[in-house]
This record gives sequence, structure tokens and C-alpha cells, in this order.
Amino acid sequence: MKESSDTRVLPSTPVERLRLYGVFFFFAAGFLYVVAGLAFRQLVQSSDLKEQSDTQSRRVVLRPPARGRIYDRNGFPLVDNRARWSVKADLASLQKEFRAEYLRLLAAEKARDAVQVDREKLMEDARVRVLQGWLNKVWFVIDETNRGTKARKPAKLAPVTAPGERQVNIEDLRKHLRERRALPFTLVSDLAFPGTGQALTADDGTKSVARFIEQFPVEGPIRLESDIVRTYPFGAMAAHVLGYVKDTDELPENVDDISEIRLESMQKLHYTGKTGAAGIELSYNHVLSGLSGWELWSKTSSGYNQTRLKYSEPQQGSNVPLSLDYRIQLAAESALSKVKDPQGKLLPAAAVMIDVHSGEILALASQPSFDPNRLADRVSANYYEEVEKSGGWLNRATQGLYAPGSTFKVITATAGMRKKVIDWDDALECGPSYRVGNRDFPEHEPAGFGEVNLDKMLAISCNVWNYQVGLRTGIEALAAESRRFGLDTPLLQTVSDVESGRLPMTELPYAANRGLVVPDREYKLRIGAGAWNDGDTANMSIGQGYLLTTPLHMACVAASIARGQTRTTPSIIHDVRRDGHHVGAEPIGLTQAQLDALRGGMVRCVEEGTARVARIPGLIYGGKTGTAEYFKKGEKAHLAWMIGFAPAKDPVVAFAVLVEGQLDTNTWGGKTAGPVAKEMLETWWPIAVKANQDEKTDGSR
Amino acid sequence: MDQNRQGARASYVALAIFFAVWVLLPSAVRRLNREAFAEFQAPALHLVGKSRDLATFWEKKSRSTEEMAAAGRDLARINAALEIKLNALEDVRRENIRLREITRYNVPVEYMSVVARVATRDSSSWWQRIVIRKGRNDGIRPGAPVVFGNTVVGRVTAVHLTTSEVDLVTSPGFRCTAYLEGDDQNHIVLVNGVAANSLGTAKARVSVIPRDYSMPAGQPARVFTTGMGGVFPSRLMLGYLDGGTYATQVGNFKESLLIPSRDLYNLQEVSVLVPLHQNPGEALMQGDQFQ
Repeated sequence: MKESSDTRVLPSTPVERLRLYGVFFFFAAGFLYVVAGLAFRQLVQSSDLKEQSDTQSRRVVLRPPARGRIYDRNGFPLVDNRARWSVKADLASLQKEFRAEYLRLLAAEKARDAVQVDREKLMEDARVRVLQGWLNKVWFVIDETNRGTKARKPAKLAPVTAPGERQVNIEDLRKHLRERRALPFTLVSDLAFPGTGQALTADDGTKSVARFIEQFPVEGPIRLESDIVRTYPFGAMAAHVLGYVKDTDELPENVDDISEIRLESMQKLHYTGKTGAAGIELSYNHVLSGLSGWELWSKTSSGYNQTRLKYSEPQQGSNVPLSLDYRIQLAAESALSKVKDPQGKLLPAAAVMIDVHSGEILALASQPSFDPNRLADRVSANYYEEVEKSGGWLNRATQGLYAPGSTFKVITATAGMRKKVIDWDDALECGPSYRVGNRDFPEHEPAGFGEVNLDKMLAISCNVWNYQVGLRTGIEALAAESRRFGLDTPLLQTVSDVESGRLPMTELPYAANRGLVVPDREYKLRIGAGAWNDGDTANMSIGQGYLLTTPLHMACVAASIARGQTRTTPSIIHDVRRDGHHVGAEPIGLTQAQLDALRGGMVRCVEEGTARVARIPGLIYGGKTGTAEYFKKGEKAHLAWMIGFAPAKDPVVAFAVLVEGQLDTNTWGGKTAGPVAKEMLETWWPIAVKANQDEKTDGSR
Repeated sequence: MDQNRQGARASYVALAIFFAVWVLLPSAVRRLNREAFAEFQAPALHLVGKSRDLATFWEKKSRSTEEMAAAGRDLARINAALEIKLNALEDVRRENIRLREITRYNVPVEYMSVVARVATRDSSSWWQRIVIRKGRNDGIRPGAPVVFGNTVVGRVTAVHLTTSEVDLVTSPGFRCTAYLEGDDQNHIVLVNGVAANSLGTAKARVSVIPRDYSMPAGQPARVFTTGMGGVFPSRLMLGYLDGGTYATQVGNFKESLLIPSRDLYNLQEVSVLVPLHQNPGEALMQGDQFQ
């Protein structure tokens, strides 16, 4: 029986054996195919498949780095970073709530016998309602007005009526779901300043954060996240120099150290970072930006982040030391803020103080200004318009183009003496006016000044002296002298420390790189204003006419005269190794007596002349005032100027002040600009004296 | 055999039905069930706490006269030292009152202090929780801070009739703001408990420390409450920064571990600072969503 069954199983005929071998072969071939296929995938395609797998199942999340700080010359922070606490909703954890709300809305729609139900819209509504519910709770906790109720009387959730961050923004949510679904959705972007974007007091901000941390439940889908945001501790101080930052999606990547991250095809999500938008923040963005941190996440099938596999911390950017001294800067801005029109409105103005030897800028103020704190996060359209309307974006110290008025007379005098048409002790008869061609060019003193030499001219700012010297010198020499002093050269952008072998860290962002005008015959023809005439030369000799320059240029002129040179290279970056080399500078080309007379006249101007309102007991210094005419809405208004250097002996600092007078303001060089210069110097002088004493003490040790 | 199989099957079915019913029960019923269990458990917890107190009492009672005399001498010395401190503090108190009168500054009393004995500590190191022998009947409310002297112990998370559960500072459910000693700018940092593994020591983490913060030389920096969050009074001690870990960089900040300033596991008695006014957070805690 057993044998018979065996014989039934085993093939007995060749045909049966052939069939059996055929089956064996078929299975063997199939098995080999599978093995070969597996081997091919494991050995040959493994790297490609791994890449595909990584691409599909992982993603990189980039985290922006903290930007470097910006310090003043003494190491005082002018731009810092503060912790920003934001409230975010973890959308993955809210899926159930979204679904439940969606079903509830769907049931309500069906109960209404709705003909057509837009399910996508319904899901969006559900998401918004759930998120709004959580946002209400967040506000219920952080709102300072909810001071609590008597014990045992449960508080009610406050109704949500306020605008801004109290309402979930549908557009933001749509964009988030489209682009960054895996990242948590931001409900309140800055707990310290929720909804307003405006700086409350530090205490108020801290309270909101603390209330959320201590009162909001720890567990749940609502997370507290902290990151870094830019802060400007002095508000609007030096805003034009410091600039501000704006949001960016382009983060400085630091992903070279891990092969998975380098995959081009791998999805990369990023938190919003910050980049420089203006000022030092923009021009030194490459220094201030650090390197982003990254996180490698595995993701769920629905696209949310699941597990953090690897990560690298962001690296903070480098710090930038500015040459500004915040004390002098504050003084300059405080002084400018007192310059107002009869209605109490701030007059547009600028003030600059620079170190005579190094060219480092100690103060650079422009009015009106803006508060970079209000631009550091989201720029409110209202605030942007407010600044735009006030003219606050313009840095008048470096971008403002003005006729220098009588401050230019130092260049006219230098040109005259270098051309030997006048000497320091020559006196000229200066009446109430001077006739050039068919026109009488007036003196600002109706009676005239009689005999005037260089010293007296600078003290009283005599026009007629300058008409005569200017005409004798000629437009070619006047224009050449202006160019020698760099009035046609954009400052700060053409200056490069590369020339002196240092890092290129001296440029200012707001260079007046166009619009500077040192007029001559060709210029007038080029602009189609006809041929140059003597009247134009007389005008230019007193800093009027086509001549246009900036307050920074005039501060450099004062510094150059103080040093007995022609050019000063200003720098906004502090560098103790700076050796006083000024690009293009050459000796002023005057004899010592002429130079002494030029500086002496400026000292006399302060002591007893047009700048005597700015006299400071105990500090002898040189100055030159100017009152230039300009046209505003077709009518004449005045620019008030004062430039100078201090102290008179061995000058250390030079300065320039400009105030734009309005049609209804009584604006004069000494009277309007003088007090600003005085206040700056009164702040600088004790600092300089103390520094000098410290230096002597250190030297004697 | 068949009967056994049927019996086993019936058990599984019963278990499945029980789970199904439990899952489908409304949350209010489940919460009621939990509450009922807590109340059922409360007498046992009271008994445990009182037994421990009794054991301590008899342990002390059994000490020799010499030991008691030595302890009495030590106590007298400590009392003398404290007497001097008390006198000094009395001067400070009077000066404080004088200054308040001059400036007409009234400090409102914000908290009612309820002293409570510790009944038991949760045996699981995971939860970092103690149970105290005071509850709703004594005016305790959820969210109230719990202190021992000037030190934060934790926060009330659940209140029953005669007992309350307190999440310790090292509990993952604990979170508060703090100032660091030596930080002149008073940046607020975040303190929250860290879930400990089964054999590990429970810790709390101090995060969002500014990167340029440096600890005072020669001593671990103390960590204080800010008093700004409306829950904890200001200047209560949370603990010390662990010097070995304070420089850990996390994102754009530093992070450290917190060493609690007291042995939280061996506390016998604590004070619950019940706020006189309910804060919004407390209202949220009582809402269904957060239970």
C-alpha cells in the first residue's frame, strides 16, 4: 500500500519527469530572479534608494541664528538681541479637534438641508474655529486686564473682539498649511508685545510672558517657543546708522557637515529669519548673520514632523564695534530735538562729530528719525507711512544735500591764499554790498563792515570779502579747491580699508554717492543753465548757488583744517589700530601763518563772532557759522549751519550741524545751529578730559 | 475542557466590553469616577501620614535623657543665634513699616497660607508628586503654589475634599518663570520639571538663559521666582543652577539643570499659598478642556 502511494507521487515517465524539471526550473528561476533583484537593490541601488527613502521620509528644518551685537566705541550695546516668546499651536496634535469640529459643522450643514456642502471650506472653518478657541484662551491668560475674580467665582472667557493677533488670520493659516504644515502655527508671535507690535514697558512685556508660562496649562497642543529678536535699547537713537532688520526666508545655511542634509531633493523647511534692511544691519549683514542651525526630522505619512533624528545648533553672528559714543550721540539727538518750528514741530536737522585724527565718527544724528524696534518684527503699514510722511527715512547727515552757505568761506579763503590773490593779513574794504556785473551782491550787515582781514572775515562771516576773493581766485581754482577737500567725492563708499590692508569695515551704508555738486563752467552748460558768469562765482564764494554737499562732508572739511590737511576719511567702525591715514589727503598748502590765521579766525568766530551763542566757558574752540538760502515750495527759507573743531589747540574733534529752516521759522547759523554744537561739545568735553586724565594716570604707572 | 474554554472566552469578552464601555463613557463620568477613587483613597492616605507621625513621635520619645539634654543644649544655642537674627529683622521690619508709611505704599495681602502635612509621596518617580492632608474643605484650590519656608515645593494640581495632589518642582507638569542670581538685567528664564527615568534622579531644567549670562564666581547661582506670572510670589527660592551644565547651548540660548534647594522627597510639612483672587489660569484649569 505504501509503495503504491510512493509510485503515485514520483514521476515515472520521462514526460512526467520533464514536467517536474520544468516546474523546478520555473521556481528556481523565479527564486533566482528575486534574489538577484534583492542583491541588485541592496548592492547596486542602495545609495539611490536610501536617498529616495530619506527624501520621502525625512525633512530638514532650519533655525535662524542670533545676529551679532552692535556696540559703541566703549563696548556699550547699541543693538542687542532679546528673547522672544511666541505661542504656537501644534497642528498634528490638533487633528482630532479639527476632525470633531468638522463633523459638528457638517452635521449642522446637513441639519440646515444645505444643497451643496463645500467640505474643504468646512474643514478650513473647523481649523479656524478650533485655533480661535485656543487663541481666546491664550488671551484670556495674558491679558493684563483680566486681573482675576474673587475666589470661587469662576472667571469667564473674555469675548474676542480686538483686532490683530486676537483673531486667527485665515490667510496666514492657508499659507502655513500650504508651505509649512509640519511646523507649528504661530498664534501669538511675541508674547511680550502681543498684537500691538509696539514697545510696551519692559515690565508689561515680561508680565505677559510670565502669566502665560505660569498660568497656561503645560500639557496640550499649545506650545511656548522662544527665539531671538532684534532689540534697540535706545529706541530711535542713531537709527539711521544702525538701520533695522526685516524678515527673510533665506537663512545662512550651515549644512555641509552631514551628508543627509546635503541632499538637494530633501525637503527643507525653515523658520523665518532676519536680515539687514538698512544701515549697519544691512551693510554688515555678512558679519552680523551667523549660521543657521538645522534639525533632521522623520515625518509622518500625513506630513507632520515625528522624531528629531539629528540636529546642529545655530551659531551667532559676529559683533560689530561702531565708532559712535552713545553719550555724545544722545547729546546730539537731544540737542536737535530742541530745534522746533513755532508750532512745536521738529525741524529737519543733522549733526555729526568726528575724531580729527582717526576720522572715526563719534556721533551722527539725523532728525526726524524712526524707532527700529517698531520695524524689527512686522512693519506696520501705519508706522511706515508715518515715518515716510515725516521724512524720517532720509539720513540728512550723509544723504541730505545742501548748500553749505558761509561755512564754505573757509575753502574760499584757502583757495584765495593758495592762489596768492590774498594773504592772511591783507585787509579788504567791505561795504554794504558788492557790484558784480549789473547786480549788487549784498552784505548781511546793511552798514557793511569796513576794513576786513581774514581773521575778522571768519569772525563776522563777511560776504563782501568773499565776493572779492572769489572773483580774484576764479571759478576754476574755487572748484579745484573744493575737490581737493573732497566735496565731490562720495564719502564712505569709496573708502576701503583694503587700501590700508585692513578688513573692509569702514563703509557707511548711506553714502551720498550721487547728487554732490561742485559746480564749474562745464557743469552749468551740462545742466543747460547757460554760460558761467561772475555772479555764479560770487554766489559760490559764499557757499550758495549750485554747490551741494552733506553735513558729513563739512565735518570732514573742519577736521581736515584742524589737522592742516585736505581730506578726512570718516569711519563708522571703531578700530584702535587706526593710524590716522586718510585716503587722498595732502597738506593743506598754506603757510603756518596762513593756517594759524584761518584757525584763529574760526576761534574768534566762537569767542566774539557769529557763533558766540555757542561759547563754552573753559573750552576754547573754533567754529564757523553759515546761513544758506534754499527754496521750499517756491519760497526762500534758510539753512542754519555750524562747523568747527575743538579744542582750538591740538584739536581732537570736529563737527558739523545743519538745521533745515521752514518758511515760517527764523533760522540762523549761530542762533539755531550753535546751541546744538554747544550741547554736543559740552557732553564731549568732560569725557575727553577724563579720558586724558586716565591716559596720564596709566602712563605714570 | 469546553467549559473552561467557554469561561476563558467569556472573561475576554467581559474585559473587552469593560474597555469599550470605559472608552465610550462621557468624560464627566470618568472624572467623577477618578474623584470617587481619590475620596475613597483619602482615609488610607491620612492613616499612612498619621502613622508616620506617630512612629516619629515614639521614635523621639524613646530617646535617652542624655540625648535629649544634648539636643536641648544644641537647640538653646540655635535659639540664641536666631534671637539675635530676630532682633536684627525686627529693626528691618520697623524701618520697612516706616518707609511704607512715608511713601503711603500698601502691599496687598494676596495669599492665604494653609499649612498641610504631607500624607504620601507618589511612589513613581515619573510623576514627581506628593499628596497633602488638606483639601477643598480647607480652602485649597488648584494652581496654588506650595512652599516650605522660602522655598518653592511645587504647585497644587488636583484638589479633593480632604487631600490635594502637588506637582513638585521636578515634575514635568511644573512650569514657572525665574530670575537668575547675577543677572543684572533680570532676564526671565523658564524653569520646568524633567521626566525622570525609572532609576534616575528627578530634575528641573532652566532654559532660555541668555548666552552672555555668566554665573557669579565661587558659588552656584540661586534661582528665584519672578512674581510676575500671577501665581508665585516674588523672590522665592527655586534652587541652584547646576554649575556643570549651565553652559549647554540650546538654540540661541543656554540651558542648565536646577538643583532644588530642599530635599523634596523628605518633606513632612508644607504651606499652600492660596491666592485670595482667582487668576485666569485657575479658571482654565477648572475647565473641561484641561482635565
